[in-house]
Amino acid sequence: MAGPAGEVLAATVSRRLKIVIALALLTASTPILLTYGLLIISSFSENMVTDPLLRDLSPTLSNWITFLQGRLTYAPEGLERNVVEMVVVTLVVALGVAFTATLVSLLAAYSISRMNFRGRRVFTASLILLHAFPGVALIIGVYMVFLSVGKALGLLGNEFYALTYVILARAALEVPMATWLFKGFFDKIPWEIEWSALVDGASRVTVWRKILVPMVKPGIAAVLIFTFLAGWEEFIYFYVFLAPLGIDSLPTFIEEIVGAAEYYQLTIVAAAGTFYLLPTIIFFVFTQKLLLEAYSGGLKG
Amino acid sequence: MAQNRQLLLIAVGIVAIIIVIGAIILATRGGEQPAPEEAPETPPAETPREEATPTPREEAPAKPELKPLTGNVEEDIVNIAKYLEAFGVKEVTYKVHGAGDPNSIMRVYGVVEAAARLNKILEENGMDLRINVEIVDFSARADEPAERFQQSFPLRQEADIIAVSFRWIATFAEEGYLLDITEYVNAYKNTELADYFESLWASVTYKGRIYALPQDTEARPLYIIRAVLECAGYDPDDVARRIDAGEITWREIFQIAEDVKEKGCAEWGVLHRKGTAHPDLVQFYYAFGGSFTGPDPEKLYLDVDALYKWLAVEYALARAGLTPENMMEWDWGKQIHPTVVNGNTAFWIGGVWHWTEWQTKKYFTDPQTGELRSLTPEEVKEKFAYSLFPAGEPGLKPVTLSQPFVWMISANAGKFNPNYEELKEAYHRIAFLLIVKANDPDLVAIHSIVSAHIPIRQKAAELMEDPEFLNKLATGNLDMFVSKEVANAFVEIAKKTAHPINIEFLKNTAYMLEYTNITPLHPAYQPLADIFKEAVDFVLKGQMTPEEATEYVLQKIRADPELAAMIEVRGEIPQGWSFP
Repeated sequence: MAGPAGEVLAATVSRRLKIVIALALLTASTPILLTYGLLIISSFSENMVTDPLLRDLSPTLSNWITFLQGRLTYAPEGLERNVVEMVVVTLVVALGVAFTATLVSLLAAYSISRMNFRGRRVFTASLILLHAFPGVALIIGVYMVFLSVGKALGLLGNEFYALTYVILARAALEVPMATWLFKGFFDKIPWEIEWSALVDGASRVTVWRKILVPMVKPGIAAVLIFTFLAGWEEFIYFYVFLAPLGIDSLPTFIEEIVGAAEYYQLTIVAAAGTFYLLPTIIFFVFTQKLLLEAYSGGLKG
Repeated sequence: MAQNRQLLLIAVGIVAIIIVIGAIILATRGGEQPAPEEAPETPPAETPREEATPTPREEAPAKPELKPLTGNVEEDIVNIAKYLEAFGVKEVTYKVHGAGDPNSIMRVYGVVEAAARLNKILEENGMDLRINVEIVDFSARADEPAERFQQSFPLRQEADIIAVSFRWIATFAEEGYLLDITEYVNAYKNTELADYFESLWASVTYKGRIYALPQDTEARPLYIIRAVLECAGYDPDDVARRIDAGEITWREIFQIAEDVKEKGCAEWGVLHRKGTAHPDLVQFYYAFGGSFTGPDPEKLYLDVDALYKWLAVEYALARAGLTPENMMEWDWGKQIHPTVVNGNTAFWIGGVWHWTEWQTKKYFTDPQTGELRSLTPEEVKEKFAYSLFPAGEPGLKPVTLSQPFVWMISANAGKFNPNYEELKEAYHRIAFLLIVKANDPDLVAIHSIVSAHIPIRQKAAELMEDPEFLNKLATGNLDMFVSKEVANAFVEIAKKTAHPINIEFLKNTAYMLEYTNITPLHPAYQPLADIFKEAVDFVLKGQMTPEEATEYVLQKIRADPELAAMIEVRGEIPQGWSFP
């Protein structure tokens, strides 16, 4: 069928198809949405909400107040846990991981993309392999390094050393993937742009700093977010390196109250969980397009 | 290529700058907080190590000596203070870490108050030394302090005193992490420690040496839901009395539970704790005459007969629909406690601490308003009768189980104080005196009342019967505390929990300690308990028969060479024995 009528039909069909796909996706993701939704709603209720129709909802803010006060006892003073300090520690690590991993991988990706050196191909291929190692699998080795470096420098037990070590060790796990992503961005930038700058007398570093880095800004944003979330969601490194020094962080605190659910209201655990999820939710709501594009092969600068 | 080289140089430069900045920051921080080995936390002005040490050396005869412990706290702390002051030490600091339910904050505040009491003695005797206590944390999860202690000991960052379950003693003592306090305890055995309940010393003794002081203990009663039993025509008090007398065994409990269910009085017959609470269930093993000890003190013994009977009871209960098949997965707040307090089961294998937990948490659905609320002490008393854990079979005794909390002292206690290597004996003694004072009768009594635990010493039990003392607690008059911080922390909890009904309950359950079992302090026990937990889950779900589950436990032991070497299996699956 041709003409305007045919176009209208095609548009209708495609709209219908879209609705069907949307419904199918919604159905598939219902369990996940429901789980997160009920968790968030429960954090504002006096009891855990398990009814999707919210018939057992009994609204209150007390869970949030209790959690943010870090109160684990009925005692009016003395034993509150400092949630603000935990947030700061978690934030420092997450930001540290984000900036370290981004900076290192920006440099590494540029060299892989633009320079020819011995072992480049093998190195590039092994990047993804490196990313395949989960942090927990390396923990014994990472701990041994922590001990021996700490002993050699006489810094064992020093809080600043532990914090720096966690940032560097965790960032190291993110560098391979971030490098791989940045390589994709650099590869897409035409060589001619860089070439013309070099011809005009710019040095390699100037080109990298003034021309290439600004062109991959969306990529930097994406990698910063990815690596920030990786640091924020970390648990085992906080638990192994920081908790023994008495440095509390959000993940270890949440693990502690989840482990003691017999004594504590699950609604408070729900508030803690929701709070911990906030950055992830915020980033994914506001930057999902950017992140999806970054993962699907780079962005146009 | 020249540009490549330039890039490389810049990269090296950046790394070098980072290192230099890091080193500068570290150096400045290092100046403020020296490394642990040489870390005086007190201001240098007050800890003139360099000045203090040579002085006695120059005047050789004046070198101070640490007098032996006398068993008198006042005398001993003054002697220690004189000794430390001679070395110029005027301030010592200890870190404490405890854990538990929200009402058990004495597990850290006990040491804070102990320091205040010792400081008062020092002040009264004109000494300059002051003892500080820093609270590392009061953790929600009971094992948190122990796990953190284990992680931080190699870094010399562990807390000096921790309040944790006694079952960690074997592990830590083997590692050399704990201070052996046997000699200190011997000095105090006839004075401050004389009225400690004798059965508790076993829980702190490992291979003949004492590594901790008991902090509290508990019993695990069988709660009998009065309304449910009355509905089925039973007298709950009579049932409780006959259980304690050994006349009602698990066979009768099974029949009562079945009867209750058939008559529609309750949905379930017997509920028990789950998950991490699996130590409770080992009461079945003891109730059927099982024991973990034998002629060789190095070995852990396993009686197959008792193990089989335990699993057979759980299997039968689940098959008859009296215990949920997925009991081990039930939710505490949504399923377990609401089912118990709303009277939907005949029996509940719980702990003494549940008595006050039901008064502070909203598990009960008010029949009038339909709203969730906590129970009043009067309601708890009206709803529940309680007894020992029933005997397995006629001729055997009813039992209960205790898992005492204990005060442990790190082998490096006081390590942050000045001149540690030379003065560590004095620092260790102060740590010991801190836990002795943290167990003062009034502090033990207060802890027992507010957290519904059983006191560890006779004097505390007596104090719990003193109307004047109880009245003070109930009205929030906490003038027994020297530390204002501690008094403020307890005032609301004390007002809430110091109810005559709760104290009567604790008094009435104290006799259970005579029937108590303490799980063995043996490195093989924890792995074995984990296997028990799996076996119980299998029989409850019907995935294994009791025979198969027993065989499963034995196979798991045989499959692990270490366990096989440490565990001695006794007896066989009984032939011709059936349950119910």
